[in-house]
Amino acid sequence: MSDATLKARSPLDGYRQQFGTLEIVELNGLALVSVATPLDGEEELKKAMTTAHKAELPAVGSSTQSSVDDTRFLGLQPGQMFAMFAHDGDRAVEFVAKKLGETGYYTDQSDSWVILQLSGADVRTALERICAIDLQDSAFPVGAVTRTVMEHLGTIIMRTGHDTFVLLSARSSAKSFLHAVLTSVNNIQ
Amino acid sequence: MSQSHRIDGGQIDRSKTLSFFFNDQRLDGYAGDTLASALVANGVKLVGRSFKYHRPRGIFSAGSEEPNALVQLRRGTFQEPNTRATVAELFDGLYATSQNHRGPLKHDLLAINDFFSPFMSAGFYYKTFMWPKAFWEKIYEPIIRSSAGLGRLSGKADPDIYDKGFLHCDVLIIGAGPAGLAAALRAARSGARVILADEDFQPGGRLNTETYSVDDTAGADWASTAIAELSSMDNVRLLTRTTVYGAYDHGVYGALESRTDHLRDSGGKPRQILWRICSRRAILCAGSTERSIAFGNNDRPGIMMAGSVRAYANRWAATPGKRVAVFTNNDDGWRTATDLAAHGVAISAVIDTRDKQPLAAPSGAMIAMGSTVTDTKGRHGIRSITLANGQTIDCDCLAVSGGWNPNVHLTCHQRGRPQWRDDLAAFVPGGDLPTGMSVVGAANGALTLSAALKQGHDEAGSVAAGLGFKKTKSALPKAEDEAAEVAAFWHVGQSNARAWIDQQNDVTVKDVKLSHQEGYRSVEHLKRYTTLGMATDQGKTANMLGLAVMAECTGRSIPETGTTIFRPPYSPVPIGALAGRARGKDFRPTRLSPSHEWAENQGATFVETGQWLRAQWFPKPGETNWRQSVDREALQVRSAVGICDVTTLGKIDVQGRDAAEFLNKVYANGFAKLAVGKTRYGLMLREDGIAADDGTTARLSETRFVMTTTTANAVAIFRHLEFCRQCLWPGLDVHLISATEQWAQYAVAGPKSRDLLRKIVDADIDISNEAFPFMACGEITVCGGTPARLFRISFSGELAYEIAVPTRYGDAMIKALMKAGEEFDAIAYGTEALGVLRIEKGHAAGNELCGQTTACDLGMGRMVSKKKDTIGSTLSERVDLNREDGLTLVGFAPVNRDDDLKAGAHFVTKGNAATTQNDEGWMTSVAYSPSLGHSIGLGFIKRGHERMGEIVQAADLLRGMNTDVEIVSPHFFDPEGERLRV
Repeated sequence: MSDATLKARSPLDGYRQQFGTLEIVELNGLALVSVATPLDGEEELKKAMTTAHKAELPAVGSSTQSSVDDTRFLGLQPGQMFAMFAHDGDRAVEFVAKKLGETGYYTDQSDSWVILQLSGADVRTALERICAIDLQDSAFPVGAVTRTVMEHLGTIIMRTGHDTFVLLSARSSAKSFLHAVLTSVNNIQ
Repeated sequence: MSQSHRIDGGQIDRSKTLSFFFNDQRLDGYAGDTLASALVANGVKLVGRSFKYHRPRGIFSAGSEEPNALVQLRRGTFQEPNTRATVAELFDGLYATSQNHRGPLKHDLLAINDFFSPFMSAGFYYKTFMWPKAFWEKIYEPIIRSSAGLGRLSGKADPDIYDKGFLHCDVLIIGAGPAGLAAALRAARSGARVILADEDFQPGGRLNTETYSVDDTAGADWASTAIAELSSMDNVRLLTRTTVYGAYDHGVYGALESRTDHLRDSGGKPRQILWRICSRRAILCAGSTERSIAFGNNDRPGIMMAGSVRAYANRWAATPGKRVAVFTNNDDGWRTATDLAAHGVAISAVIDTRDKQPLAAPSGAMIAMGSTVTDTKGRHGIRSITLANGQTIDCDCLAVSGGWNPNVHLTCHQRGRPQWRDDLAAFVPGGDLPTGMSVVGAANGALTLSAALKQGHDEAGSVAAGLGFKKTKSALPKAEDEAAEVAAFWHVGQSNARAWIDQQNDVTVKDVKLSHQEGYRSVEHLKRYTTLGMATDQGKTANMLGLAVMAECTGRSIPETGTTIFRPPYSPVPIGALAGRARGKDFRPTRLSPSHEWAENQGATFVETGQWLRAQWFPKPGETNWRQSVDREALQVRSAVGICDVTTLGKIDVQGRDAAEFLNKVYANGFAKLAVGKTRYGLMLREDGIAADDGTTARLSETRFVMTTTTANAVAIFRHLEFCRQCLWPGLDVHLISATEQWAQYAVAGPKSRDLLRKIVDADIDISNEAFPFMACGEITVCGGTPARLFRISFSGELAYEIAVPTRYGDAMIKALMKAGEEFDAIAYGTEALGVLRIEKGHAAGNELCGQTTACDLGMGRMVSKKKDTIGSTLSERVDLNREDGLTLVGFAPVNRDDDLKAGAHFVTKGNAATTQNDEGWMTSVAYSPSLGHSIGLGFIKRGHERMGEIVQAADLLRGMNTDVEIVSPHFFDPEGERLRV
């Protein structure tokens, strides 16, 4: 048996930088669990969501939030959502399974993504350089979420505040993704 | 020279003097000038030389249609050729040089070409340079190449940066002239999200260059009030210095915004931004372009478009001449005479091709109705014109107007054809516009101010209403309709001298006639034969003249003659802007495994596999070439234990009640009965029966599997599985998600691998051979409770495992494994040693699964289950894929053990010539086997399984090698597989 313990590293080692009014922060301490709806199991899952989280099943392109534990549910595609919640360990699936039981199929995605939060008045101006999605209030209100591509990299974008967006992209290309975001920010500053 | 041609008025800022250089001569202009207007203000007439004949050329127009005034802007690495002086905004320190001449601009050595013009008519290069044959490559071509082309690139990397982006709007308004501004005001006031784009740095279009009034105020003032209102609205985005250059599918438009071209220094910010504008509707308000009339020597500096001449006077307070003549076929030309006269410029004559009552003209001007200009004089600038009656009139500028062409270009970008309007003698947009586009104003043939304003206003109202925006009170701007009658007149037949149609390409009336004479009847052929309408201006001032002359030759009407197809871009887009930020290593993203930093610290050499960087080998001190490192790594795995990062393999989480059935359908071999806790090798076929990909799939529970794919095919296989799930078998309860990024995975291979892992896995995990046999899998914990997955699988043929931990622990895990392995002489090995080990074992990889080979070819024919229907199983039974003399994967060993083998060599029976007809297969993978002490290879050869021991040639014609090889079993090492089961 090993006497070593494994120390976790985040994709960007906790990146945080201010650019004028715009701030870029790597979000850590968040768990992401994919919840797939079993065939013909949507009603069961809805019920479990209501009971355990007091939250609605999110429609594709939107998110809902638990009033009980702040868990966000990101509607990403028919039959699949992500649960995002504060959790610093490596047992995220157990946490979700405890709440929703066997109403979904769960896959831990916590280590699959780098999560960047961009906030500030210029955030949309920066993002329009790499994001093909219309981020205006009328088209992408607070709570909206969608999959897209930024600089060839698959990305999930979620609007969490008027001037705040959370971007998820593949962990292995985190440095390339950060470079793409930083280039956008530097090009507008 | 002190702005000798500057006059009163204009919209320039005289409080800001700007110094600039043209051909090293220092000149002054004002803020608000373009380079062209500043040159005009300084009395500079000669600005360049023509493409073919090196004729002296001057500024011809005042906009992006300019064919002549192309200059090289800036210096050193920033140098950019073919910049149109008419759209180059003046800044302090601007440095420009003329182009296309040898020696000084005034005394161009290549002006001699003009004397040889009879030998250089259209298509001359198709008829000459034929003899002697040997001269072409060594003499003709080098001379032509050194003479051809406009301007010179710096030849160095472009130091500017460029960017791209995406914009969205309800209504995109293209052009901020009167129609565009009226449309923008109406649409914006309705609440629609509006993008108003204009190529000029000062919006307003011809309102800035004419003396019209709108709402009882000067047109330019009305335009700036409108711009001020639009700029103050949150729902409006005003893009100046932005050319919408292309109309694409689904309401998407390409636009190039110039950000720092008007600044001396970009300050490290992008020079230009290429926007992709997604619009719900678009209103094209692109205005119109004035065209010329062809007559003898109509290309001299000082001969300009009439509208441009008054634009320089009205907007930029610069007169192109002090004694100006006008030659026109329409009412608009007369306006040049009256506007310039109002600025105090002498008008020597107005010549109108129409035989009618003259319009109001400045006093002192000679009026000639129903007349034409047949010739001009003045080598470096016009000095006089000759009329059809032989009369000569002195002038230093001739303003020519042949009428106006609506700018229909963007309406044709999706194959729309424009329609002819006789009353305008011009094409207007046809009915088949790009989806969501409407056209108003001069671009739509409404060539007068009031009509343009009304069309813009009305169309924006109906577009906004159609999109569901509120109706708001928005008054139609009031203006008069000016006189705009035109009578078609294209070229002066009496001219004996050459009459230019396309000044940029030196195409004359005679060239068009010659083209017709030589049988080029299609407009497209005319264009290619003469080069009419090519290059930076794309014939904006020339195409109509060319068509008209062609129509005359064929005896057809202009609409019958047709037009060439307008394609994007409307005006030039630098390649740098198209590339954007995708330069150098930023051309594409790079994927790094969590142990990348650790591997870098070990001095690893990396190789690109897809987007991944993988450690190829880990050199040690004293090793002088890669083979030494790879041999050491491979031998160490065979004798002790090695660790290889296999994180990059695709991992797909497959869950659901029907997951097993799903896998059973996508894999050629059976998976339905795979027990929980077991792993199985799987082969996937394409629909056509060809092998697609392979990998192992582990069953973690009744409803959960983890599939691994090859690194290269991870995305393609996931996409394929999603297609199967969603489209082929939507009734199955199965769910997929990629877990490639979730797990850091390491192969631990070698006889001491179990000993090493025992120091990593937690105490309660039994990994003895009995408890955790070959092909076992399980979810375990390591290093004191960290969740992990363990698979007992082997690519190397050794006792081996793959251990996976959540990626966050990947860096720590490689370090822990290496630390734990110290006592077992563990080494890290890279992809090269991995390749050596798998070739020694005869395992197929990407080289063998190349999209041409079947399960039979790979020696896995029996894996394709006949008991079930799987993708590719039926078509894999095609006769030709199961021939007795088909290819078989076998091993190859050099007869002379010192010979190196080369992948790509083709096999030929001994004694036969190495020809395509005798080709019997090819070598797919080779390696030097340190265990065997010689090169080994895998490859496909016909009837391979029957030919063990036969000597064949491995012919490599590309490398000039032909090596005798013996056909052997592909399992070079431990053929019984005893080592991996211990």
